[in-house]
Amino acid sequence: MLDRPLVVSGELSWLGGDRLQRRVDHPQQETSTIADGEVTQQRAGKSPRHFSLKRAPQLQVLLDSFVALLSGDAARLQQAFEIRQGGDAGGAWTLTLVPRDARVAKTVASIRIDGYARESRCMHMQEADGDLAVDLLGPLAARMPAEPTREALQALCQSAP
Amino acid sequence: MRRGARAALLTGWLLALAGVGWMVSQRLHVSTDLRSFMPAPTTPDQRLLMEQVGEGPGSRLLLLSIGRSCASGNCSLHCSDSGIPAVACARGTEPSIAGAGRSDAQLAALSQGLAAALKNDKRYSQVLNGNFDLDALDASLLPYRYLLSPTLDTQPLDEAYLADQLQQRLDDLSSPAASLLKGLLPRDPTLEVLKLAELWAPAKSPELREGVWFSPQGEALLLVQTVAAGFDPGAQQQAIDGIRQAFAALPGSADARLELSGPGYFSVVVGAQTRHQADWIGRVSTVGFIALLLLAYRSFSSLLLSALPIASAALAGIAALTLAFPEVHGITLAFGFTLLGVAQEYPIRVLSHRRAGEDAVHSVRALWPLLLTAIASACIAYLAFYASGVNGLKQLAVFTIVGLLVAGFSTRYLLPHLLPRRVRDVADMHWLARARDVVDRLPRPRWIPVAVAVAIALMLALAPAPFWQNNLAALTPLPQALLQHDARLREALGAPDVRYLLVLQAPTEQGVLALSEQLQPRVDALLAQHAADALELPSRYLPTVALQRERQQKLPDRATLQHALDQALQGLPFRADLFHPFVDDVEAARALPPLTPTRYAQTPLGQRLAAMLVERDGHWLGLGTVSGVHDVAALRALGENTHGAVRLLDLKAASESLVVDYRTRILQALLVAAVLLVLTITFALRSLRRAWHVLAPMTLATFLVLAVERVAGIEISLFHLVALILAGGLGLHYALFFERDTGDPAEQRRTLHATLVCVLSALLVFGMLAWATIPVLRAIGLTVSLGVAFHFCLSILMAPHARQD
Repeated sequence: MLDRPLVVSGELSWLGGDRLQRRVDHPQQETSTIADGEVTQQRAGKSPRHFSLKRAPQLQVLLDSFVALLSGDAARLQQAFEIRQGGDAGGAWTLTLVPRDARVAKTVASIRIDGYARESRCMHMQEADGDLAVDLLGPLAARMPAEPTREALQALCQSAP
Repeated sequence: MRRGARAALLTGWLLALAGVGWMVSQRLHVSTDLRSFMPAPTTPDQRLLMEQVGEGPGSRLLLLSIGRSCASGNCSLHCSDSGIPAVACARGTEPSIAGAGRSDAQLAALSQGLAAALKNDKRYSQVLNGNFDLDALDASLLPYRYLLSPTLDTQPLDEAYLADQLQQRLDDLSSPAASLLKGLLPRDPTLEVLKLAELWAPAKSPELREGVWFSPQGEALLLVQTVAAGFDPGAQQQAIDGIRQAFAALPGSADARLELSGPGYFSVVVGAQTRHQADWIGRVSTVGFIALLLLAYRSFSSLLLSALPIASAALAGIAALTLAFPEVHGITLAFGFTLLGVAQEYPIRVLSHRRAGEDAVHSVRALWPLLLTAIASACIAYLAFYASGVNGLKQLAVFTIVGLLVAGFSTRYLLPHLLPRRVRDVADMHWLARARDVVDRLPRPRWIPVAVAVAIALMLALAPAPFWQNNLAALTPLPQALLQHDARLREALGAPDVRYLLVLQAPTEQGVLALSEQLQPRVDALLAQHAADALELPSRYLPTVALQRERQQKLPDRATLQHALDQALQGLPFRADLFHPFVDDVEAARALPPLTPTRYAQTPLGQRLAAMLVERDGHWLGLGTVSGVHDVAALRALGENTHGAVRLLDLKAASESLVVDYRTRILQALLVAAVLLVLTITFALRSLRRAWHVLAPMTLATFLVLAVERVAGIEISLFHLVALILAGGLGLHYALFFERDTGDPAEQRRTLHATLVCVLSALLVFGMLAWATIPVLRAIGLTVSLGVAFHFCLSILMAPHARQD
């Protein structure tokens, strides 16, 4: 859909339970909250927009994987995804999650999380229509290139810290 | 008659009954639509009420709620005494959040499942559950969005606008809403479809959870519009059954509770409730009636045989209706069976007047002139109802006249041949002789009629106003729990009020839409002042052709749009060819013929519009629905200076005026019937003095019932009037037989016996009905019971003195 990748930066925070907040600082101020199966999107100077989590499978996946990972809930992760693990002796690892729910899989093909030792570094969300969303997490977030390419991000995620 | 001949006659009679019964079962179509029983409307509002209101948008709405099952024990179930499980599943304290979340999901899934199941069903024209539906506009109509959406009225599709919109879409793509909009983007970068969806969403919509509407009490809510009229309980029952079946077929529905509300549901509940209570009372009084007749005549065969004339009367009456009318109204049958109660007197008279050793045929011959007078005068009186011109009353007349004639003639020519030869002469009973003595010795002062007349006049004058009950709904009131439930759902859903409609009138369909467009700013102002919560006009769903053309003129041609788009895309990361479908759609929209209601009618929204636009007598009406009316006067003011083109229709007032008209027709028919009755009786008795002795007690008793009911604060309804007519028919019999002076004391005793059996049986049946909790049944029961008592007393007190033995 786009010629160039879209880069946004901000903060994703887990509010406990099934609640996530996604705050975007750049390029446009925006806060989205997922709570009780509903997404509320608040943009500066506009009235908030509400929609059901069911309508945004990416967010459902994000919620499932993120909350499970952060809370160390392996059972929940197993329930929502088919999991493939990989890693090397140097401490780098890859976790590939394929949504079990066919309806979700129609939008989100898979998620790959790259990490090193005890730290998650990148989250790649491969959408079914070919779009790819890459989240650089933690310290890596500061190293997002201004004009990123898939290859550059790939290299960044898999590089040793 | 020999044994063989008797058996043959009985068999023949029963076979004939079976034959007529079979014919009736094949031909009978019972209509439950209240409107077909009503008189032809005269004022425009009444006509609108009759023709459209039952089918108007508000009255065809069913309000549905899906709540947690009561099986879990955290809710109580209120049941009305009628055995119909009523609503109001009140939940206990708030369940835990986690539990609520999971349960919400289940309820939402049920709501979606139910909506999906009903959407393709021909019985429902619209199913809404809050699901944000991008498909509201049919795919083939998508290019029309530029003609339907108000965007172009204020905003050309130029470079500046496109650039701003595209920047916003880019922001959308990076937001969680991306997946919502991504599919829409290439074809509709300005999101006209979403603007239309917002425009068409209910003005005040309930809270959305899990993508569907929820009430504050945590039930999933749906709105279903039926194709069937709201006042057609039969069709509504089918629509409701369809909903319940679809719900029961959903996985997981066993743990949830589906509740309904709305005018259609109420008509079904009221019908079922009334039938339930009438059936129950009917069973009890039938047992009592049989016991009474057994006690009176001590013969099973006489009892069974005397049921034959009544059964023949009922079947013949219905058969005549099926031959004369394409559809028989349910109320005709109910009223008709009530009025046919008179016919039970015929066999009773025959049984009481039998003499020991005398052939039943002889006994009947002696009675027949008087019975014939009674039958003929009743039939002639009912002719007045036939002449009333009201379809329901015509049917009633046909049913009653045919029924009475069949009952009378079968009592005269068939029944006596079948009755057992050996009977006990009731005249020999000692208590009867004593009772007759008492009756004969009663003082019968000449001032009684005057005193009664004065009492009647006084009571009528002192009775509290109002005299008439015009609100038919008051006779079949709904359980309070149902009303509260309805008010709660209506509030939560912002569903339109059933009482008020804003009617727009113009010579053409487009004229109505234009009027509606003109009115919109004033309506918006009224809504801002909270005169009502919402007022939905037809133009909300479809602008006029003129406005659509105006918008069409503003659409840029392909080259201009492409240029503007290319300019707008400068510096944005969108693929250059991404918006081809958009450019194609705009090009297509420029050449479209404007959308008309006919074209639109094939889509779900078009059906919604079709319910709001009706043609009548060469002009068109637009029906605007109002929800949450706070200031009726302000709404009514919309119609000022429009010369009737815009008016607020109060359906309650219109229906009451209809009832008034109906009553006037009945009263006129009654007046004619009274004149006919006087003439028939005078002619039959060939004496004015004797006619006075028959008619005076009957007339006084009828007015006495009216006066007593009025003094007791009862407002007189149509049902009271019909009951008065039945009581009058019974009273005519009492008076005729008491007036008859045979000079034979034994015969006088038999007359008293017959009359006592008749009075007691009528008191038993209708007295039971008087205890009913449903006012319509109570009205009939009380009126007939009082009537029978007054007619009996007055016809004895005003009868001429028997010759001393």
